[in-house]
Parts: sequence; C-alpha cells; structure tokens
Amino acid sequence: MSKSYQFKRFLTRRYQILAAILFLLAAGLLLLPKYEKHEGISPEELLSNSISPERYITTDVLADRIINQDPSYLLIDIRPEEEFKEYTLPNAINIPLKKIMDEESIPYLNQTQYDVVLFSNDHFYADQAWIMCNRLGYKNMHVLKGGLNNWFHTIINPAKPGEDMPATAFELYSTRKAASMFFGVAYPEEVKQIVVKKVIPKKVITIKKKKKMPVEGGC
Amino acid sequence: MGPLIPNGIIPAEWNYILAILIGFAFGYILEASGFSSSRKLVGVFYGYDFAVLKVFFTAAVVSVIGLYYMDYLSLVDITRLYVQPTYLVAAIIGGAIMGVGFLAGGFCPGTSLTAVAIGKIDGMVYTLGLMIGILIFSEFFGFLEPLFDASNLGHITLVDTLGISPYWIIFAFTLIALISFLFSDWVRSKVKKVFY
Repeated sequence: MSKSYQFKRFLTRRYQILAAILFLLAAGLLLLPKYEKHEGISPEELLSNSISPERYITTDVLADRIINQDPSYLLIDIRPEEEFKEYTLPNAINIPLKKIMDEESIPYLNQTQYDVVLFSNDHFYADQAWIMCNRLGYKNMHVLKGGLNNWFHTIINPAKPGEDMPATAFELYSTRKAASMFFGVAYPEEVKQIVVKKVIPKKVITIKKKKKMPVEGGC
Repeated sequence: MGPLIPNGIIPAEWNYILAILIGFAFGYILEASGFSSSRKLVGVFYGYDFAVLKVFFTAAVVSVIGLYYMDYLSLVDITRLYVQPTYLVAAIIGGAIMGVGFLAGGFCPGTSLTAVAIGKIDGMVYTLGLMIGILIFSEFFGFLEPLFDASNLGHITLVDTLGISPYWIIFAFTLIALISFLFSDWVRSKVKKVFY
C-alpha cells in the first residue's frame, strides 16, 4: 500500500524528472572528453587498399595512353622541382611530395574527372603520396609501377630480346621500340636513306587544231 | 557507420519505402496525440494548451542530443547529414504567412492531413486551401523567384554562423526548451481553462 503510494508520488514528479534527465544529457555532451575525429576512410579499408596491387599502372599501358592522347589521364610528378625541370613525362604536373597536402594541390588530387597517375623515380615515394591521398578518400588514384626508372628501361631504352626468347618478347620489344620512337628516340638502323625522286616536268604536247577552212562557194 | 543510406548499409532503393513507413508512424503519432484537433493546435496562441510547443521542442532537443551522442560514439557522421539551405528573407516572409494561416485555419500542413485522415471537414477545406496556395505559388514562381533566391545563405547552421561548439549550442537550446516549458506552464495557469 505504502509502496504504491510512494510510486504515485514519484509519478507526480515525472515531468520534473524527465526535464532533469534531458538537462543532464545535454550537460553530459558538454562535459564529455573531446577527441580528434578520424578523418577519411577507415584503417581497415586503408590497409586492404594498400595491400591490393590494383593502384599500379604499368609503363606499357601508360605509354599507350599517352600515344593515343587519352584526355582522361592526369600525370603528377611528385619529385622535387629541380628533377621535374630536368626530365618528366609529357604534360605532367609537378606536385612535390612535401606539397601534396597543400591547399593548391587538392583540386588536382581530389576530383573525379581524371585518372590521376602519380610517379617518382621509383614507385616508392609515389606510393607514399598515394597512401596519403587514399586515406583522405580521394578517388581514381594510380601509381606508375617502377616509376621513371622503369619508364627508361622499358619504353625509352627497351632491352633487345635474345634469340632464344619467345615471339611475344619480340612483339613487346617492337611495340616498345615504336613507343620510344614516339617519345623522340632515334634508332640508326631505322633511319632510311630517303631517295628523292627527281620530278620530271611534264612535257605538255599541244595539239594544234587544224584551222577550219572557211566555207567557200560551191563549185 | 551511419547515416545508413548514404553509407550504403541500407540500399538507396529503400529510401522512399522507409520514408513512407516513417510518415505513417509520424501521422499515427500526431493523430494519437490529438494533433488533428485545431482547437488543440491553436491553444498555443491563446495560451490554454501548449502541447504542440512541448512536443515539437522536446522532439528537436531529444533528436539533437541523441544524434550528437551517436556522433560521439561514431555511430553517425554528423557532417554527412543533409542540412536544409537557409533562405533568410524568404523564410521570414513564408513563416509569417504560415503563422497567419496556422492561426486562421487551425492546422499546420502535417496535422491538416491527419485531420483529413479521420474525416474532419475543416481539415479537408484547409487541405484544399493548401493545394490552391501551392498552385498559386508555383504559377507565380517566376515572379517570386528573385525574392526566393535573393537570401540563399546555403547549407549553414548556427555552428558555422556563430563559430561556437555545437555542444554549447545544444546545451543552450535545452535550457531554452526547459525554460519555455516552465513559462508555458505559468501562462497556462494564468489563462482561463478551455475544455474541448
């Protein structure tokens, strides 16, 4: 009896109790220890992305894209500026690794229109840049496998296959050689003597038309 | 984890189905709480019934506190929730017009539909007026568009405008709610009781 009476008395104060709970919850939000929120993709996702070799693009594929003038590729050289000035891939943009998180680099990296290909001398630094971009959730990021060193060994200066190599090696070599010629490498054996044909001027033979004899009076 | 649909935990195709189900639940609760009665709704203006104020204010405070606790626990990413764009001047004018309509008609758009659902004739007339209003607005939209677009401030919140931590804003908002509840109880005790 007294218990139910107490409960009833407790219930008459229900609005005050609910208001107090609301107040405490709001104050609790204020007093909670703040922590830095994790930005970008989850660590598990980053790990699985970084293990996957999907990000790599081979030099042969890249050469094919450049030669076919694929407009959807954005080449980003992440080496220091001096090295960029010395040599780089055609139409590449220079964003040194140190500046990859800068405000002005973000529009190039955080976009969905282009397939971004990061490259450095090897793919080591490019991978570092890729990890940073991937963690922030940037899309369409790729890394040139082997970097510029591999570019030189495969495209610019391809190794001639030995006689005991399969036919595919020869096909690959001829493709790479053709690609290197596109990028300005000259092969002495390919330079042919161009025989300039003498142009013999056309002799125009004019045919004199026989003058029509005026019609004379009949006989 | 959340929001569930943008993060692909629930497929986007469920969006409208869930919206309809939540709408059913919302309509049912509105009706069950007596919000289909225009007498109850205009009670706020005459000071004899503050249920509308208390219900909607409590709903807002509970949901904002709950969302921020879920954000703290990484259950919901608060930055990915949709924020309605703020049209300042248009909202003031529209709010004034709606306030007049609310008091004159005794319904707000949602409650007028619950009134229609239980067969109230005043609710039907109100809904018809609502439709005519929508028709007039959309027919004259070309004329009203400069006014409509002029004050678009984008997807802003008080956190952006004032630069204060959201937790302080929530705390202040909760205090305002509780004080307004106390104040409304005081007003109600002063006003002559109306039985309806």
